[in-house]
Amino acid sequence: MTSGTITDGPALRDPHTPDSRIGHGADYLHAEHTLRSWFFTTDHKRIALLYLASITAFFVIGAVTAGLVRLALVVPDGQVFTNDTYNKLFTIHGVVMVWFFLIPSIPATFGNFLIPLMIGARDLAFPKLNLASWYVFMTGALFTLASVVLGGVDTGWTFYTPLSTAFSNTWVVPALIGVTIVGFSSILTGLNFVVTIHTMRAPGMTWFRLPIFVWTHYATSLIFLLATPVITVALILLIAERAFHIGVFDPAYGGDPVLFQHLFWFYSHPAVYIMVLPGMGVISEIVPAFAQKKLFGYKFVAYAAIGLASVTFFVWGHHMFVNGQSDFASVAFSVLSFAVAVPSAVKVYNWTATIHKGSLKLDTPMLYAMGYIGLFVLGGLTGLYLATLAINQHVHATYFVVAHFHYIMVGGTVLAFLGGLHFWWPKITGRMYIEAWGRISAFLIFIGFNVTFFPQFILGYLGMPRRYHVYPPEFQFLNILSSAGSTILAVGYLFPMVYLVYSIWFGKRAPANPWDAKGLEWTVPSPPPAHNFLTEPVAPKVPYDYPLQARETGRQHS
Amino acid sequence: MSAGATDTAVGVKLVSHFATVEQQKRAAVLGMWAWLLTELLLFAGLFLTALILRILHPEAVQAAARHLKFWIGATNTVVLIGSSLTMSGAIQLSRLGWQRGMVRFMLATAALGTLFLVLKGYEYYADYHEHMMPFLSDRPYELKDSPPSRLFVNLYYVATSLHGLHLMTGITILLVMTRQASRPGFLSVHQNRIEIFGLYWHFIDLIWILAFPILYVVNR
Repeated sequence: MTSGTITDGPALRDPHTPDSRIGHGADYLHAEHTLRSWFFTTDHKRIALLYLASITAFFVIGAVTAGLVRLALVVPDGQVFTNDTYNKLFTIHGVVMVWFFLIPSIPATFGNFLIPLMIGARDLAFPKLNLASWYVFMTGALFTLASVVLGGVDTGWTFYTPLSTAFSNTWVVPALIGVTIVGFSSILTGLNFVVTIHTMRAPGMTWFRLPIFVWTHYATSLIFLLATPVITVALILLIAERAFHIGVFDPAYGGDPVLFQHLFWFYSHPAVYIMVLPGMGVISEIVPAFAQKKLFGYKFVAYAAIGLASVTFFVWGHHMFVNGQSDFASVAFSVLSFAVAVPSAVKVYNWTATIHKGSLKLDTPMLYAMGYIGLFVLGGLTGLYLATLAINQHVHATYFVVAHFHYIMVGGTVLAFLGGLHFWWPKITGRMYIEAWGRISAFLIFIGFNVTFFPQFILGYLGMPRRYHVYPPEFQFLNILSSAGSTILAVGYLFPMVYLVYSIWFGKRAPANPWDAKGLEWTVPSPPPAHNFLTEPVAPKVPYDYPLQARETGRQHS
Repeated sequence: MSAGATDTAVGVKLVSHFATVEQQKRAAVLGMWAWLLTELLLFAGLFLTALILRILHPEAVQAAARHLKFWIGATNTVVLIGSSLTMSGAIQLSRLGWQRGMVRFMLATAALGTLFLVLKGYEYYADYHEHMMPFLSDRPYELKDSPPSRLFVNLYYVATSLHGLHLMTGITILLVMTRQASRPGFLSVHQNRIEIFGLYWHFIDLIWILAFPILYVVNR
């Protein structure tokens, strides 16, 4: 199928081509063919695919370095790599995964692709800015990859001072410049989403008719706008100190290293919700579609997104319980951190209530979504352990923390990302993948993930510190188990890369709405036409208008 | 100015992905405000740290703050407020369609911005002579036994040079825009660009109005 316009009569058409595409303009994939039309596109859907390709590449880099870290930890005496190489490996893993995969993953791909479609707009408010933010992203990536090629960085993804400013002899400055630049890309994306959601909604698309996916991206964009500038200034100060000795963090220059931690975590704790909230949006779309049931407590789920985005700004101090902040501050941050559990739990309860008595279809996206809920609950509950002052003293900077944030950030982002990728794949590419392979990948990833990271909770509780590559031999069994799990996980990740790419050429053609899902994006052909809508979109009266209705006690949506 | 009375129609050309011009204008204004919010937060961390430092170490910070050139800072404040005034004039004239007058006011704005940078440069030069740059290892810092004063002075340099960078960006954009805006017919298709840029310019002014008391004046 390379032709632009399908205008032929029924006799000539491909039997798999859905009726909805007959007589309509070319879809966005086939509207133009030149390389130029991809690299200078202002179509949000094509920009989403540019992002998809780039973050997939970063995911591979991050995953390979993670594999090498796990390889090193198979033996307790640290003979696989030198200490220096090991430090560089886990730093590259962290920097690439956090800054170049997890943070942009769902917003930059699905957010870009879906927000205009979901709210009935022809594009984002600033299409050129959107393209510019991809170029900014790639420029930042270039700097950070340059630091890796030149010889690596060994500070960890957090760039803590004074290690990063005074003691590290590695390529810290290019890595810092890269991360600073990437921050601008997030700001521009968030700004575009906020303005689009405020001003570009189709007539009748009121705030409480928006899909939860849009709500969570709205909340995420607010975090992008309010938190990213703070990390930007922190990193600028770090660069100034390392490169020009304008000391703000190093006590030798009159500075204060704890100040860096304050500035860093003021962004980086909210950043956890930059990673998790879009995932929650994806799950809130998948669960009602595969239960064929209206999302339980729509308004509460929407408020919970804004609630999470707000509370997350007041909890950064829980990263600093053992750095000498006042006991009063620690207690306050501990209590506030517990408050995060409330909106998180609201969402989990609402998903389970939506599943309850639904007519369940356990297709690939739903398997990923259920895996997500399981991992998120376990990650969230261990978060309560870490927010508790006394327990935090015991497990601080151990593998318990490593396991916790992998459950939240990988369980909460990667599973949602893959779930969303399978859910919207027919819409994005116009092709169906092979369902059986999808289910196998979902199972492999869930099992591989738990085998990898659950032992790390035990390791951490027993006292194995993070970031060490030499450890007492009694921890070897659990480390081998974890490394074995990472192999299963790697196979699980390889599966979708193969069958999804295969489906682009050999998959069955997708109908406009393969899952009987609700939402404006499913009313347009797959793949969507270049300007999204062939006719003026009509906003649905009720969001998630599925055949089964949850029994609710609260007020109904207007 | 009188020569240019209503020489062009004033308006905005509709870009295809918007439904109405009103929507397009609303999006542009909201976008600029959102950007300015992030800019404010970029400086907020620096200002907050400087204020907390003053509260924790009042003597050391005052000793350092006394070395800042108050009169240059004060003159610069006036210069920048003046530039906001000329920018407002340019915006007002753009609404009326007085293109030539608008261009003159924009050039005056750029000139005042440049004057600010020149004065700031002179102030740095004077600081250099007074050994007030702790990061230059070959010139021993004047208040060398006082870490909080060094931290304060370092914050001062980061904050003011970051502000200077914004001003330089602003002047560059302004000059490019003046060139475009002097072509006939500009105001009939892009009048809102003047308004949107005006927001940014006033904001640079606002940042300085926050920086000046926090760095130069408090507890002086």
